Amino acid sequence: MERVKTGIPGLDEMLGGGLLSQTANLVEGAPGTGKTTLGMQFIYHGIVACGEPGLILTFEEFPQQYYRDAASFGWDFRQMEREGKLRVVMSSPEVTKADLEQVGGRIERLVREIGAKRILVDSLSHFERISEEPVRLRGIVYGFVNSLKREGLTAVLTRENLALLGEAEGTDDAIAFLVDAYVLLRYVEIESAMRKALLVLKMRGSNHDKGIRQFGITSRGIEVRAPFEGREGIMSGSPRRMVDSFVQAFVRR
Amino acid sequence: MEERELDLAGRLMADMDPRLLEFLQAKITSFVKWDLINFFHDNPHTTDTADNISRYAGRNVETIRTELAELARDGVLEETQLGGMTVYSLASDRRIRELLEQFVEASDDRQFRVKAIYHIIRGTR
Repeated sequence: MERVKTGIPGLDEMLGGGLLSQTANLVEGAPGTGKTTLGMQFIYHGIVACGEPGLILTFEEFPQQYYRDAASFGWDFRQMEREGKLRVVMSSPEVTKADLEQVGGRIERLVREIGAKRILVDSLSHFERISEEPVRLRGIVYGFVNSLKREGLTAVLTRENLALLGEAEGTDDAIAFLVDAYVLLRYVEIESAMRKALLVLKMRGSNHDKGIRQFGITSRGIEVRAPFEGREGIMSGSPRRMVDSFVQAFVRR
Repeated sequence: MEERELDLAGRLMADMDPRLLEFLQAKITSFVKWDLINFFHDNPHTTDTADNISRYAGRNVETIRTELAELARDGVLEETQLGGMTVYSLASDRRIRELLEQFVEASDDRQFRVKAIYHIIRGTR
Protein backbone atom coordinates (compact mmCIF):
# COMPACT_ATOMS: atom_id res chain seq x y z
CA MET A 1 0.00 0.00 0.00
CA GLU A 2 1.32 3.41 -0.99
CA ARG A 3 2.06 5.61 2.01
CA VAL A 4 2.00 9.39 2.06
CA LYS A 5 4.41 10.60 4.70
CA THR A 6 3.36 13.56 6.82
CA GLY A 7 6.99 14.33 7.65
CA ILE A 8 6.04 14.72 11.30
CA PRO A 9 8.57 12.87 13.44
CA GLY A 10 6.77 10.17 15.38
CA LEU A 11 3.43 10.49 13.61
CA ASP A 12 4.38 8.53 10.51
CA GLU A 13 5.52 5.67 12.76
CA MET A 14 2.18 5.79 14.58
CA LEU A 15 0.41 5.62 11.21
CA GLY A 16 2.36 2.55 10.13
CA GLY A 17 4.52 4.54 7.70
CA GLY A 18 2.23 7.42 6.78
CA LEU A 19 -1.28 8.14 5.59
CA LEU A 20 -2.73 5.98 2.86
CA SER A 21 -2.69 7.55 -0.58
CA GLN A 22 -5.88 9.28 -1.80
CA THR A 23 -7.60 9.14 1.55
CA ALA A 24 -9.36 11.72 3.71
CA ASN A 25 -7.85 12.14 7.15
CA LEU A 26 -9.47 14.09 9.95
CA VAL A 27 -7.39 15.99 12.51
CA GLU A 28 -9.55 17.23 15.37
CA GLY A 29 -8.62 19.36 18.33
CA ALA A 30 -9.36 22.38 20.46
CA PRO A 31 -8.16 25.85 19.41
CA GLY A 32 -4.38 26.11 19.56
CA THR A 33 -3.66 22.39 19.73
CA GLY A 34 -1.83 22.48 16.38
CA LYS A 35 -4.32 21.20 13.78
CA THR A 36 -3.36 23.77 11.17
CA THR A 37 0.36 23.38 11.93
CA LEU A 38 0.05 19.64 11.42
CA GLY A 39 -1.72 20.23 8.12
CA MET A 40 0.82 22.80 6.93
CA GLN A 41 3.68 20.46 7.84
CA PHE A 42 2.01 17.72 5.78
CA ILE A 43 1.81 20.09 2.80
CA TYR A 44 5.37 21.42 3.29
CA HIS A 45 6.86 17.94 3.58
CA GLY A 46 5.05 16.85 0.43
CA ILE A 47 6.53 19.75 -1.55
CA VAL A 48 10.13 19.71 -0.30
CA ALA A 49 10.71 16.03 0.43
CA CYS A 50 8.35 14.13 -1.86
CA GLY A 51 7.99 16.41 -4.89
CA GLU A 52 4.23 16.50 -4.35
CA PRO A 53 2.63 19.93 -4.85
CA GLY A 54 -0.18 20.87 -2.50
CA LEU A 55 -3.28 22.95 -2.03
CA ILE A 56 -4.48 24.69 1.10
CA LEU A 57 -8.19 25.34 1.08
CA THR A 58 -9.13 27.78 3.81
CA PHE A 59 -12.62 28.76 4.87
CA GLU A 60 -11.61 31.33 7.45
CA GLU A 61 -8.01 32.49 7.57
CA PHE A 62 -6.52 34.68 4.87
CA PRO A 63 -3.61 33.23 2.87
CA GLN A 64 -1.29 35.79 4.51
CA GLN A 65 -1.94 34.11 7.85
CA TYR A 66 -0.63 30.82 6.45
CA TYR A 67 2.41 32.55 4.93
CA ARG A 68 3.20 34.13 8.31
CA ASP A 69 2.57 30.99 10.35
CA ALA A 70 4.59 28.86 7.93
CA ALA A 71 7.45 31.38 7.95
CA SER A 72 7.72 31.01 11.73
CA PHE A 73 8.80 27.41 11.08
CA GLY A 74 11.11 28.42 8.25
CA TRP A 75 8.71 27.25 5.53
CA ASP A 76 8.55 29.75 2.67
CA PHE A 77 5.03 29.23 1.37
CA ARG A 78 5.13 32.44 -0.71
CA GLN A 79 8.11 31.14 -2.64
CA MET A 80 6.42 27.78 -3.10
CA GLU A 81 3.40 29.59 -4.57
CA ARG A 82 5.68 31.51 -6.93
CA GLU A 83 7.26 28.22 -8.00
CA GLY A 84 3.83 26.75 -8.71
CA LYS A 85 4.14 24.07 -6.04
CA LEU A 86 1.48 25.44 -3.72
CA ARG A 87 -1.83 27.25 -3.95
CA VAL A 88 -3.57 28.77 -0.95
CA VAL A 89 -7.23 29.21 -1.81
CA MET A 90 -9.66 31.09 0.38
CA SER A 91 -13.29 30.35 -0.29
CA SER A 92 -16.52 29.35 1.40
CA PRO A 93 -17.86 25.81 1.85
CA GLU A 94 -20.97 26.44 -0.27
CA VAL A 95 -18.97 27.79 -3.23
CA THR A 96 -16.32 25.07 -2.89
CA LYS A 97 -19.00 22.39 -2.85
CA ALA A 98 -20.66 23.80 -5.99
CA ASP A 99 -17.27 24.26 -7.67
CA LEU A 100 -16.20 20.67 -7.06
CA GLU A 101 -19.55 19.35 -8.28
CA GLN A 102 -19.13 20.87 -11.73
CA VAL A 103 -16.82 19.49 -14.38
CA GLY A 104 -13.70 21.60 -14.89
CA GLY A 105 -14.27 23.80 -11.85
CA ARG A 106 -11.67 26.19 -10.47
CA ILE A 107 -10.26 23.76 -7.87
CA GLU A 108 -10.07 20.97 -10.42
CA ARG A 109 -8.14 23.33 -12.73
CA LEU A 110 -5.77 24.34 -9.93
CA VAL A 111 -5.11 20.69 -9.04
CA ARG A 112 -4.23 19.93 -12.66
CA GLU A 113 -2.29 23.16 -13.15
CA ILE A 114 0.21 22.44 -10.36
CA GLY A 115 -0.18 18.64 -10.27
CA ALA A 116 -1.35 18.74 -6.65
CA LYS A 117 -1.23 15.49 -4.71
CA ARG A 118 -2.01 16.79 -1.23
CA ILE A 119 -4.64 19.09 0.21
CA LEU A 120 -5.23 20.70 3.58
CA VAL A 121 -8.84 21.70 4.22
CA ASP A 122 -9.02 24.12 7.13
CA SER A 123 -11.57 23.53 8.48
CA LEU A 124 -14.35 21.06 7.90
CA SER A 125 -16.31 22.65 10.76
CA HIS A 126 -17.35 25.44 8.40
CA PHE A 127 -19.54 23.01 6.44
CA GLU A 128 -21.96 23.36 9.33
CA ARG A 129 -22.78 26.75 7.81
CA ILE A 130 -24.47 24.96 4.90
CA SER A 131 -26.60 22.73 7.07
CA GLU A 132 -27.03 22.06 10.75
CA GLU A 133 -29.14 19.02 9.96
CA PRO A 134 -26.84 16.02 10.67
CA VAL A 135 -28.06 13.73 7.86
CA ARG A 136 -27.79 16.47 5.22
CA LEU A 137 -24.43 17.60 6.59
CA ARG A 138 -23.12 14.06 6.41
CA GLY A 139 -24.26 13.83 2.78
CA ILE A 140 -22.55 17.13 1.93
CA VAL A 141 -19.26 16.15 3.59
CA TYR A 142 -19.44 12.69 1.98
CA GLY A 143 -19.73 14.31 -1.47
CA PHE A 144 -16.93 16.74 -0.66
CA VAL A 145 -14.56 14.02 0.58
CA ASN A 146 -15.27 11.90 -2.49
CA SER A 147 -14.60 14.80 -4.83
CA LEU A 148 -11.14 15.23 -3.26
CA LYS A 149 -10.42 11.53 -3.74
CA ARG A 150 -11.67 11.77 -7.33
CA GLU A 151 -8.98 14.39 -7.94
CA GLY A 152 -6.37 11.95 -6.62
CA LEU A 153 -5.65 14.01 -3.52
CA THR A 154 -4.58 12.82 -0.11
CA ALA A 155 -6.38 15.12 2.29
CA VAL A 156 -5.87 16.37 5.80
CA LEU A 157 -9.13 17.85 7.03
CA THR A 158 -9.12 19.80 10.27
CA ARG A 159 -12.10 20.04 12.58
CA GLU A 160 -12.55 22.20 15.64
CA ASN A 161 -13.41 20.73 18.98
CA LEU A 162 -14.55 23.39 21.39
CA ALA A 163 -13.79 21.43 24.54
CA LEU A 164 -10.40 22.46 25.87
CA LEU A 165 -10.30 19.46 28.18
CA GLY A 166 -12.32 16.26 28.21
CA GLU A 167 -15.11 15.24 25.85
CA ALA A 168 -16.81 17.84 23.70
CA GLU A 169 -20.56 17.97 24.08
CA GLY A 170 -22.58 17.36 20.96
CA THR A 171 -19.64 16.21 18.80
CA ASP A 172 -21.06 14.96 15.53
CA ASP A 173 -19.41 11.62 15.07
CA ALA A 174 -21.15 10.99 11.76
CA ILE A 175 -18.25 12.79 10.07
CA ALA A 176 -15.77 10.45 11.77
CA PHE A 177 -17.35 7.53 9.89
CA LEU A 178 -16.71 9.21 6.53
CA VAL A 179 -12.98 9.66 6.92
CA ASP A 180 -10.22 7.09 6.54
CA ALA A 181 -8.13 8.18 9.50
CA TYR A 182 -9.02 10.14 12.60
CA VAL A 183 -6.35 11.87 14.67
CA LEU A 184 -7.25 13.57 17.94
CA LEU A 185 -5.20 16.36 19.47
CA ARG A 186 -5.90 17.13 23.10
CA TYR A 187 -4.79 19.36 25.92
CA VAL A 188 -3.85 17.46 29.05
CA GLU A 189 -3.38 19.03 32.46
CA ILE A 190 -0.51 17.49 34.39
CA GLU A 191 0.81 18.99 37.59
CA SER A 192 -0.57 22.45 36.86
CA ALA A 193 0.85 22.57 33.34
CA MET A 194 -0.80 22.09 29.96
CA ARG A 195 0.66 19.42 27.75
CA LYS A 196 -0.58 18.10 24.47
CA ALA A 197 -1.62 14.56 23.59
CA LEU A 198 -2.08 12.92 20.19
CA LEU A 199 -4.07 9.79 19.50
CA VAL A 200 -4.71 7.98 16.23
CA LEU A 201 -8.27 6.93 16.91
CA LYS A 202 -8.93 5.21 13.60
CA MET A 203 -7.09 4.23 10.46
CA ARG A 204 -9.08 2.38 7.86
CA GLY A 205 -7.23 -0.42 6.05
CA SER A 206 -4.08 -0.26 8.17
CA ASN A 207 -2.75 -1.10 11.57
CA HIS A 208 -1.69 1.84 13.69
CA ASP A 209 -0.24 2.74 17.06
CA LYS A 210 -3.06 2.85 19.64
CA GLY A 211 -0.96 4.67 22.22
CA ILE A 212 -1.56 8.19 23.46
CA ARG A 213 1.58 10.17 22.73
CA GLN A 214 2.85 13.50 23.96
CA PHE A 215 3.62 16.05 21.28
CA GLY A 216 5.02 19.53 21.09
CA ILE A 217 5.22 22.36 18.59
CA THR A 218 8.86 23.28 18.11
CA SER A 219 10.61 25.77 15.82
CA ARG A 220 10.64 23.02 13.18
CA GLY A 221 6.98 22.10 13.50
CA ILE A 222 5.23 19.30 15.33
CA GLU A 223 7.18 16.53 17.02
CA VAL A 224 5.42 13.51 18.41
CA ARG A 225 7.17 12.14 21.47
CA ALA A 226 6.95 9.26 23.90
CA PRO A 227 3.68 7.96 25.32
CA PHE A 228 2.46 9.31 28.63
CA GLU A 229 3.81 6.89 31.17
CA GLY A 230 2.37 5.98 34.54
CA ARG A 231 -0.82 7.97 33.86
CA GLU A 232 -4.36 7.00 33.04
CA GLY A 233 -7.41 8.96 31.93
CA ILE A 234 -5.29 11.05 29.54
CA MET A 235 -8.17 11.79 27.16
CA SER A 236 -10.29 13.10 30.02
CA GLY A 237 -7.85 16.00 30.07
CA SER A 238 -7.08 15.49 33.76
CA PRO A 239 -5.11 12.26 34.04
CA ARG A 240 -4.25 10.58 37.30
CA ARG A 241 -1.04 8.87 38.21
CA MET A 242 -1.61 5.14 38.01
CA VAL A 243 0.04 4.70 41.37
CA ASP A 244 -2.61 6.97 42.92
CA SER A 245 -5.37 4.92 41.34
CA PHE A 246 -3.74 1.76 42.68
CA VAL A 247 -3.52 3.20 46.18
CA GLN A 248 -7.12 4.38 45.99
CA ALA A 249 -8.33 0.97 44.80
CA PHE A 250 -6.33 -1.37 46.96
CA VAL A 251 -4.49 0.31 49.78
CA ARG A 252 -6.92 2.82 51.29
CA ARG A 253 -9.72 0.33 51.74
CA MET B 1 -11.52 77.42 -8.87
CA GLU B 2 -12.57 74.46 -11.03
CA GLU B 3 -9.81 75.25 -13.51
CA ARG B 4 -7.20 75.45 -10.76
CA GLU B 5 -8.27 72.01 -9.46
CA LEU B 6 -8.07 70.46 -12.90
CA ASP B 7 -4.64 71.95 -13.31
CA LEU B 8 -3.50 70.50 -9.95
CA ALA B 9 -4.93 67.10 -10.87
CA GLY B 10 -3.18 67.24 -14.22
CA ARG B 11 0.14 68.07 -12.57
CA LEU B 12 -0.32 65.33 -9.96
CA MET B 13 -0.97 62.70 -12.58
CA ALA B 14 1.60 63.94 -15.10
CA ASP B 15 4.47 61.77 -13.89
CA MET B 16 2.35 58.66 -13.39
CA ASP B 17 2.89 55.62 -15.60
CA PRO B 18 0.23 56.15 -18.33
CA ARG B 19 -0.93 52.53 -18.12
CA LEU B 20 -1.42 52.80 -14.37
CA LEU B 21 -3.12 56.15 -14.76
CA GLU B 22 -5.55 54.69 -17.26
CA PHE B 23 -6.18 51.70 -14.97
CA LEU B 24 -6.80 54.02 -12.05
CA GLN B 25 -9.09 56.34 -13.96
CA ALA B 26 -11.06 53.63 -15.69
CA LYS B 27 -11.33 50.90 -13.07
CA ILE B 28 -10.69 52.22 -9.57
CA THR B 29 -13.37 54.80 -9.10
CA SER B 30 -14.00 54.25 -5.39
CA PHE B 31 -12.18 53.28 -2.21
CA VAL B 32 -14.24 50.09 -1.95
CA LYS B 33 -12.98 49.08 -5.40
CA TRP B 34 -9.44 49.77 -4.20
CA ASP B 35 -10.10 47.48 -1.21
CA LEU B 36 -11.45 44.80 -3.53
CA ILE B 37 -8.47 45.13 -5.85
CA ASN B 38 -6.17 44.60 -2.85
CA PHE B 39 -8.30 41.68 -1.67
CA PHE B 40 -8.14 39.86 -5.00
CA HIS B 41 -4.45 40.65 -5.36
CA ASP B 42 -3.81 38.95 -1.99
CA ASN B 43 -6.28 36.15 -2.71
CA PRO B 44 -5.88 35.51 -6.44
CA HIS B 45 -7.51 32.08 -6.28
CA THR B 46 -10.63 33.15 -4.41
CA THR B 47 -13.98 32.53 -6.01
CA ASP B 48 -16.89 33.59 -3.87
CA THR B 49 -20.25 35.29 -3.54
CA ALA B 50 -20.76 38.98 -2.77
CA ASP B 51 -22.07 37.99 0.68
CA ASN B 52 -18.89 36.12 1.58
CA ILE B 53 -16.55 38.66 0.01
CA SER B 54 -18.28 41.40 2.01
CA ARG B 55 -17.53 39.41 5.18
CA TYR B 56 -13.88 38.96 4.20
CA ALA B 57 -13.59 42.66 3.38
CA GLY B 58 -15.57 43.78 6.44
CA ARG B 59 -17.86 45.93 4.27
CA ASN B 60 -21.58 46.31 3.72
CA VAL B 61 -22.82 43.63 1.34
CA GLU B 62 -24.99 45.94 -0.80
CA THR B 63 -22.06 48.28 -1.45
CA ILE B 64 -19.79 45.34 -2.22
CA ARG B 65 -22.35 43.81 -4.59
CA THR B 66 -22.50 46.96 -6.73
CA GLU B 67 -18.73 47.43 -6.80
CA LEU B 68 -18.08 43.78 -7.64
CA ALA B 69 -20.55 43.98 -10.52
CA GLU B 70 -18.81 47.11 -11.83
CA LEU B 71 -15.35 45.54 -11.58
CA ALA B 72 -16.70 42.53 -13.47
CA ARG B 73 -18.20 44.82 -16.11
CA ASP B 74 -14.81 46.53 -16.44
CA GLY B 75 -13.01 43.22 -16.93
CA VAL B 76 -11.04 43.22 -13.65
CA LEU B 77 -13.13 40.38 -12.22
CA GLU B 78 -15.05 37.53 -13.76
CA GLU B 79 -18.67 37.04 -12.79
CA THR B 80 -20.04 33.51 -13.18
CA GLN B 81 -23.04 31.47 -12.14
CA LEU B 82 -22.17 28.50 -9.95
CA GLY B 83 -24.81 26.23 -8.47
CA GLY B 84 -27.38 29.02 -8.53
CA MET B 85 -24.97 31.54 -6.97
CA THR B 86 -23.33 34.55 -8.60
CA VAL B 87 -19.63 34.29 -7.82
CA TYR B 88 -16.66 36.54 -8.51
CA SER B 89 -13.05 35.74 -9.18
CA LEU B 90 -10.06 37.60 -10.52
CA ALA B 91 -10.03 37.88 -14.31
CA SER B 92 -7.73 35.36 -15.93
CA ASP B 93 -6.58 37.99 -18.51
CA ARG B 94 -2.79 38.22 -18.07
CA ARG B 95 -2.72 41.94 -18.95
CA ILE B 96 -5.25 42.78 -16.25
CA ARG B 97 -3.35 40.71 -13.69
CA GLU B 98 -0.09 42.46 -14.55
CA LEU B 99 -1.72 45.88 -14.22
CA LEU B 100 -3.23 44.92 -10.90
CA GLU B 101 0.14 43.69 -9.68
CA GLN B 102 1.79 46.95 -10.77
CA PHE B 103 -0.95 49.02 -9.17
CA VAL B 104 -0.66 47.25 -5.81
CA GLU B 105 3.13 47.53 -5.93
CA ALA B 106 2.94 51.22 -6.79
CA SER B 107 0.48 51.73 -3.90
CA ASP B 108 3.30 50.96 -1.49
CA ASP B 109 4.70 54.35 -2.42
CA ARG B 110 3.18 57.19 -0.39
CA GLN B 111 3.37 59.71 -3.27
CA PHE B 112 1.48 57.34 -5.54
CA ARG B 113 -1.15 56.71 -2.88
CA VAL B 114 -1.72 60.42 -2.36
CA LYS B 115 -2.24 60.90 -6.09
CA ALA B 116 -4.56 57.92 -6.32
CA ILE B 117 -6.59 59.11 -3.33
CA TYR B 118 -6.88 62.57 -4.85
CA HIS B 119 -8.06 61.05 -8.11
CA ILE B 120 -10.75 58.97 -6.38
CA ILE B 121 -11.99 61.88 -4.28
CA ARG B 122 -12.28 64.03 -7.37
CA GLY B 123 -14.13 61.26 -9.18
CA THR B 124 -16.66 60.75 -6.39
CA ARG B 125 -17.66 64.45 -6.18
